[in-house]
Amino acid sequence: MLETTVVVIGGGATGMGTLRDLSMRGVPAILLEQGGIAHGTSSRFHGLLHSGCRYVVNDPESAHECIEENMILRRIGKGCVEVTEGFFVLTPKDDPNFVEPWLKGCDAAGIKVKEITPAEALKLEPNLAPDIQRVFRVPDSCVDGFRLVLHNRMSAERYGGRAYLYHKVEEIKQRNGAVCGVTARNLMTGELMEIACRVVVNAAGSWSGEVAAMAGLEAAITPDRGTLIVFNHRFTSRVINRLHPSSDGDIFVPHGSVTILGTTSMPTDRPDDTTPTYPEVTRLLEIGEPLFPQVHEYRILRAFAGTRPLYTPGGASGRKASRNFNVVDHAADGLDGMVSIFGGKLTTYRLMAERVTDDVCRRLKVTTPCRTAEEPLIEPPDPAVLARAAKLFPVRALNLMADRLGDDLTKTLQIAEVAAVAAKNTKNTHITDFGGGNPLLCECEMVCLAEVECVARDPSTHSLTDIRLRTRLGMGTCQGTFCSLRSVASLVEHGIPLEFAPADSMCRFLQERWKGLRPVLWGQQAREMEFSRSVYAGILNLDGAMHEQNN
Amino acid sequence: MSRTTDVIVVGSGLGGLMAALAAARQGREVRIISEGTGCLAIGTGCVDLLGYAPDGASVEDPWAAMTELAPAHPYSLLGAEKVRAGLDALMETTAKHGLVLRPASRDGKPRNTRVPTIMGTLKPTYLMPDTFEPDDLGKAKRVLVASVMGFRDCRPALVIDQLRRYPDWADKEYFPCLIPTPFDDAHRALNALDLARAAERPGGSEWLIGSLKERAEGCDLVLMPPICGRHAGSPLARELREALGCPVVEMLSIPPGVGGLRIRDALMRELAALGVELVENANVIGAGVAEGKCHSLDISSTGRSYSTKARAYVLATGGILGGGVLLEPGRAIERVFGLDLALPTDVADWTEPEIFGSQAVSKVGVRVDDKLRPLDANGALALENVFFAGRSLGAHDPAVEKSGYGVALATGWQAGLAAAELAAAAHNTGEAATGGEQ
Repeated sequence: MLETTVVVIGGGATGMGTLRDLSMRGVPAILLEQGGIAHGTSSRFHGLLHSGCRYVVNDPESAHECIEENMILRRIGKGCVEVTEGFFVLTPKDDPNFVEPWLKGCDAAGIKVKEITPAEALKLEPNLAPDIQRVFRVPDSCVDGFRLVLHNRMSAERYGGRAYLYHKVEEIKQRNGAVCGVTARNLMTGELMEIACRVVVNAAGSWSGEVAAMAGLEAAITPDRGTLIVFNHRFTSRVINRLHPSSDGDIFVPHGSVTILGTTSMPTDRPDDTTPTYPEVTRLLEIGEPLFPQVHEYRILRAFAGTRPLYTPGGASGRKASRNFNVVDHAADGLDGMVSIFGGKLTTYRLMAERVTDDVCRRLKVTTPCRTAEEPLIEPPDPAVLARAAKLFPVRALNLMADRLGDDLTKTLQIAEVAAVAAKNTKNTHITDFGGGNPLLCECEMVCLAEVECVARDPSTHSLTDIRLRTRLGMGTCQGTFCSLRSVASLVEHGIPLEFAPADSMCRFLQERWKGLRPVLWGQQAREMEFSRSVYAGILNLDGAMHEQNN
Repeated sequence: MSRTTDVIVVGSGLGGLMAALAAARQGREVRIISEGTGCLAIGTGCVDLLGYAPDGASVEDPWAAMTELAPAHPYSLLGAEKVRAGLDALMETTAKHGLVLRPASRDGKPRNTRVPTIMGTLKPTYLMPDTFEPDDLGKAKRVLVASVMGFRDCRPALVIDQLRRYPDWADKEYFPCLIPTPFDDAHRALNALDLARAAERPGGSEWLIGSLKERAEGCDLVLMPPICGRHAGSPLARELREALGCPVVEMLSIPPGVGGLRIRDALMRELAALGVELVENANVIGAGVAEGKCHSLDISSTGRSYSTKARAYVLATGGILGGGVLLEPGRAIERVFGLDLALPTDVADWTEPEIFGSQAVSKVGVRVDDKLRPLDANGALALENVFFAGRSLGAHDPAVEKSGYGVALATGWQAGLAAAELAAAAHNTGEAATGGEQ
């Protein structure tokens, strides 16, 4: 039986942000997540760090929160945020009368907006449609949701917080109308874990309705499904929004080496309804076309879907439902020690975490103030460490890696240094092994062996998909055709076991990619798919091996 | 406008080369129009016929299993005897250029053999190079699994881990071995083709033998990636086998396809000897069609456009991967003639949730009659002097069936024969291709 003060349920941005905040204020806390890091909505959105401009007309309060949090995250989350700015673009298909109220709203929310001529805009973003009418520069940015959660975890762990992944809560225990503990099942081993605690924070996002129900509470959570598509290249350097009331498919977000277009909005009854469909994809492309007339020609890598945890106590739904968040103390419902955070959006995750932590701290009579807006999530990389790493990693990979790894950079460097010494001693080296024994496994995203090894050794890594999320391995053009085989081979070679046998690991990895390919199977990406099937089934007989091997 | 020839073959994968070979052997004048290198550049050195039945059952005797396939399957259209004719032609031709391919047999009957891959999986295949005996695989007790330092695609540790998971490979003793790279100074990651080329340079044989000799002592089987030369008839594998005193098996490898390039090398040499014209880097961008016949192909090549004519045409343009079949949102078309290809109306039905399931989209292709001529949506003959071969044909999924080379070589051979026959008839009647001066 573990003992702690607070159990946080949900390993997305809000939950991990809450774990961090509690830990920084000295409150013992444990987080439970049913999947991997950011397995829910925090890794299934377009990666836009809102300036708030999207909400200024309908939801001025959200807009104001967005711009404040946007500025904070730029400071504390340097490894996760790419400061790009954004455009709001009025196309001939949009109502020009929307501009006036929109500008007023931006002003009221305190968001700095500057109009430029379409000609200037086209100079900066030449792929935009030439017939655009008006363009406004806004302080939008891009954020890697997965990494944001990871870095929050690293920060929380520095202060003693602990996060258990692949642990699904099965029971919230109560005694005399108060929470007294939680039972969770380790989904990897099947074992049960009992935790005694005084407070439970329900930060399960789209699953928060289910978690509330587990405690016998009612919560009006409507999962709302959003589908997005990932293009093979970065055809815009800025976030591009259509200047009109919020609608489907109107935001393009550059992200690393790709561009993401989102999002649709459709109510669903399942929080894990994340299989994208062909009609959604064609609809997205249609709506994106007035901004980028070539959008049908661009190569699509994959589609994916996530669910928004809309909080709908009054019965509003879809785009009409507020994107705002609510901290609900269930003491009013007769259960002491249970606090839920409903609704919200990734941009304001930190604020949500702060509010819920304030609530918890009031109850626990902890008066330490919140410092999550001041302290960076991860320490900036030590220049001495970077200098050492520069000898063993390609320069471009080094920068990407430092952002990806955060606190694990030093560990990865140590692995590479040990490998380099071993390689030198055995003369088992090759010029393309950077520094010896450290080959580049994924050319698309510049991932070296040492990084894969470091991530694979992390106890919370179970599958190639976990490695993909941490390192971005397999996220590029080849979608893992070459690097997944190399990674599995290297892991076996270095004696690092994954949860599944090698062939099974590969199959699961390819299967995950396949899910995102099915609705976008045309053009160059269809050829890539056939290539991948030719290699893994046609040449390597992975499909046959699944039945013929003993595992 | 180039001179009218007898037969134009579009595509230089295995289907295209076999078609050209068939037509040239019939004494026809043949021109190959080729955009790239085709499937052999990514394929292995073993020839698959049929490894798995439609129900997923493993196939021992491909000739027997072939008769159980759906009526639209290319093998069913041809019948086993015509498949055998193509296979015999391939074996005879590659052997002539030093690459002897032959099947394993049991009780006097040819059968599939399961050959290790660089991932350590086993794949059923039909023809193998004669540098090893299929029985060597089963009999071996002490196996050296060798690869090259810095070669990322083949790691002995994975091969061994995977092989041990097969009941009939579990009880062997394995020894991993990494030999030094032959490059003092390579500036990019090594692939199998780099290594195969290096092995053919002066000193290459010494490199392989020298690095493996000691390690292979006491072993009765050496598994290695396909790096013993990139040409048909390279003596390296045989020399290695003799020097090591034990069988050497090159594992099936991911692209670049060294094994496939060896087969290509043999066929290209034969075609050159037969005087077949090869036009490379040429992209067919359209076709002239009148009265149910093709009378010319529009070519774009290195910045210029022209048209080219023949009495009969073989289209071995490949499937989705090769570019002969174009997938567009909601539909599929054949690239050169714009033939509409049948796919389920609802895109959701194009695929199945399991990646290696039976995908409708992977079986998309041109529908043909038993002479391999294209049919329209109503089942009527669309073009009477055009023959389709290889992956451009529908109704088979070579990735899952392990039938890629088999379908390509059999349909290529038959399409080439049919085109030659048609061209000869046109010659005899004095009829040129319709329209245009010669």
